[in-house]
Amino acid sequence: MIFIGPHLLLFALFFLIPIFFGVYISFTNWDLVNTPEFVGLDNYKDILLNKESTFYTQLHTGLGNTFKFVAFTVPACIVIPLLLAAALHVKPKGMKIFQAIFYLPVLFSISAVMIIWSMMFNVSFGPINHYFTSSPNWLGTQPYAWIALVVVTVWWGIGGNMIIYQAALNGVSKEYYEAASLDGAGRLQKFFHITLPSIKNQLLFTIVITTIAQFNIYGQALMLTKGGPSSSTTVLLMYIQQNAFGSGQSIAGIASAMAVILGLCIMAVSVIQFFLLRERK
Amino acid sequence: MHKKIKVMISCMIIVIFILSLGACSQSSSSDKVGKNEIVFWNPFVGPDGKNMQMMVDAYNKTNPKFKVRNISLKEADMYAKIPTVVNSGRNIPDLNIVHAERIKQFVDKDMLIPMDDSLAKYPEIKAENYVKAGWDIGSLDNKRYSVPLDVHSFVMYYNKDLAAKYAPHALDDNIVTFDEIKEAGLKAKKDGIIAAPVTWMKPAFLSVYSQMGGSITSDGTKPTLNTEQAVDTLKLYNGFVKSGITNKDGQDAGQVFKSGKAIFYPEGIWMQNDIKKAKNLNWGMTNFPQLSDDKNKMVNWSSSHQFVLLKNPERNKKKTEGVIKFINWVRDNSLPWAEAGQNPAALATLDNPKYQQMPQSFLIKDTTEQKSLKIFDYKYNGYISEQLDKIGNDTVFGKLDIKKALMDSQKTVEDKIAQDK
Repeated sequence: MIFIGPHLLLFALFFLIPIFFGVYISFTNWDLVNTPEFVGLDNYKDILLNKESTFYTQLHTGLGNTFKFVAFTVPACIVIPLLLAAALHVKPKGMKIFQAIFYLPVLFSISAVMIIWSMMFNVSFGPINHYFTSSPNWLGTQPYAWIALVVVTVWWGIGGNMIIYQAALNGVSKEYYEAASLDGAGRLQKFFHITLPSIKNQLLFTIVITTIAQFNIYGQALMLTKGGPSSSTTVLLMYIQQNAFGSGQSIAGIASAMAVILGLCIMAVSVIQFFLLRERK
Repeated sequence: MHKKIKVMISCMIIVIFILSLGACSQSSSSDKVGKNEIVFWNPFVGPDGKNMQMMVDAYNKTNPKFKVRNISLKEADMYAKIPTVVNSGRNIPDLNIVHAERIKQFVDKDMLIPMDDSLAKYPEIKAENYVKAGWDIGSLDNKRYSVPLDVHSFVMYYNKDLAAKYAPHALDDNIVTFDEIKEAGLKAKKDGIIAAPVTWMKPAFLSVYSQMGGSITSDGTKPTLNTEQAVDTLKLYNGFVKSGITNKDGQDAGQVFKSGKAIFYPEGIWMQNDIKKAKNLNWGMTNFPQLSDDKNKMVNWSSSHQFVLLKNPERNKKKTEGVIKFINWVRDNSLPWAEAGQNPAALATLDNPKYQQMPQSFLIKDTTEQKSLKIFDYKYNGYISEQLDKIGNDTVFGKLDIKKALMDSQKTVEDKIAQDK
């Protein structure tokens, strides 16, 4: 008890208490100022069942857009870093420089990244439109807004997963490849039958972590597309933030209930992924 | 023995941890700040923050009994923090700047204390000495809850050379009507020059909506966004877009204006320091575009930064007096604030020749202009603002059906209000 004491205290202070408080708030009507008024399941009924309610629409639009974002970005955030790591694994010339370049974006803060990219995508003076014959409004029309969000997110996050895959690939014994060569296996066969199974655990880890990270999408949509056009990229966290800390009076109860639903979704998806990937053993 | 040492070290870590937690909360608590210090929160983190710091420094040099400590917070952070500190009763600032639109909501939540008693000693802090729009907003149920620092308006910048070429007489009366803008725009279109860039639609919408006779609330509680006037307002802008005389969707209107490719550019007076940076740009400032030439019907969207006292049991009477003394000093010494691009609410600055030279001073010099400054005061203004920011550009650029957007907005605001039980 004494050994885990400090950790337990920190865990309770910064993790358990906020979570319980958040869940409690989701059962209340609270404006952040007066004492929360207990309303039972009203908030959940409103956002889950009451089709007439604005908050029902918000939850469905927000959650829908969040899922879309996860579906668009997670595969790219896994496959692209894996391919890059595999390419770097054969130790090409200038490998260190490329590694540094690919890893660099991870170190930038989200605001810096978004400001740079909003300039890149700018309709009139952005370099991207400079090279295209037509000049779409990248951040204000679909499907360009989604493309922009995915490109930026993948660019920003390549390095993190790539480093993990690089380390994993270094750990794969060369003997397997040699044995495979003797059996006459081609490059692709080696990749699918040796490399992938060998780094399965790291893959599982990155898939779960990346999925959770992308579920928490907020900064990109807020700063790049501002949720538009016509709410098509407004993700759930944006609704939650606006309801709880918007410019109007706070609706913290509803916001908390939405946050709980989002948390449950993340948990459910993570558990499913875990089991699916484990089963294959 | 070994075990004992481990136990001792663990105990020490726990003790240090607990102590450090205690120290954290103590060092940030207000009583540590110093009894003779006024903690002053404001949302001035932009370039205007420097000017506020200058004013505070100048005031502290006068050796007041209570010195002011200037703390500028990001607007969103400040508004998120206010309920938390008021709720906990700790670390509440002694003086606060909030936006005019928040006051009704704060009073309603019982977060502000009236200033009437403390103001009694400073007779110069009175209606006659302030811009009416800024002063009136602080009075609720015959009590005064705030004193204005400034009144900032959404106006229109124009390129003098282009205006002379394409709209030679539009500025004679200092009112540019939408018809005049359209005429100039159609003339300029051939030369690749645009007329009235669509900028921040929230203030633009509210200003035109009000000119059309619309109001954001029918009785102070119920929102009225889904009206004919609102449809007409958005249609007016949509018409401009369709005729091809405005900036394109996604195009940065400010950039176009600064590069000398736009005749008009509606923006806030607070943007002028940004405009000044553009070299070779011969610009002027005028009223926001109007529907008619009638000066008495003019509307310029405005807001105001207001001094308020949040409820704070620790702020005693003497300190409150110190606070009011500072507010009174600001009334007489607002020039640095005007230099930040704002219009000080205190009329004392009006006589200053330096101020009279500033482009934004035209809004205050003349009483008819003063009357045009309209603050959109409504308890649920925040909800309306959020909706307008959401639908403004999308409807104007034809990406969202105007009627449907307004209907949805009305419903959203109503549903949010229904949560305020």
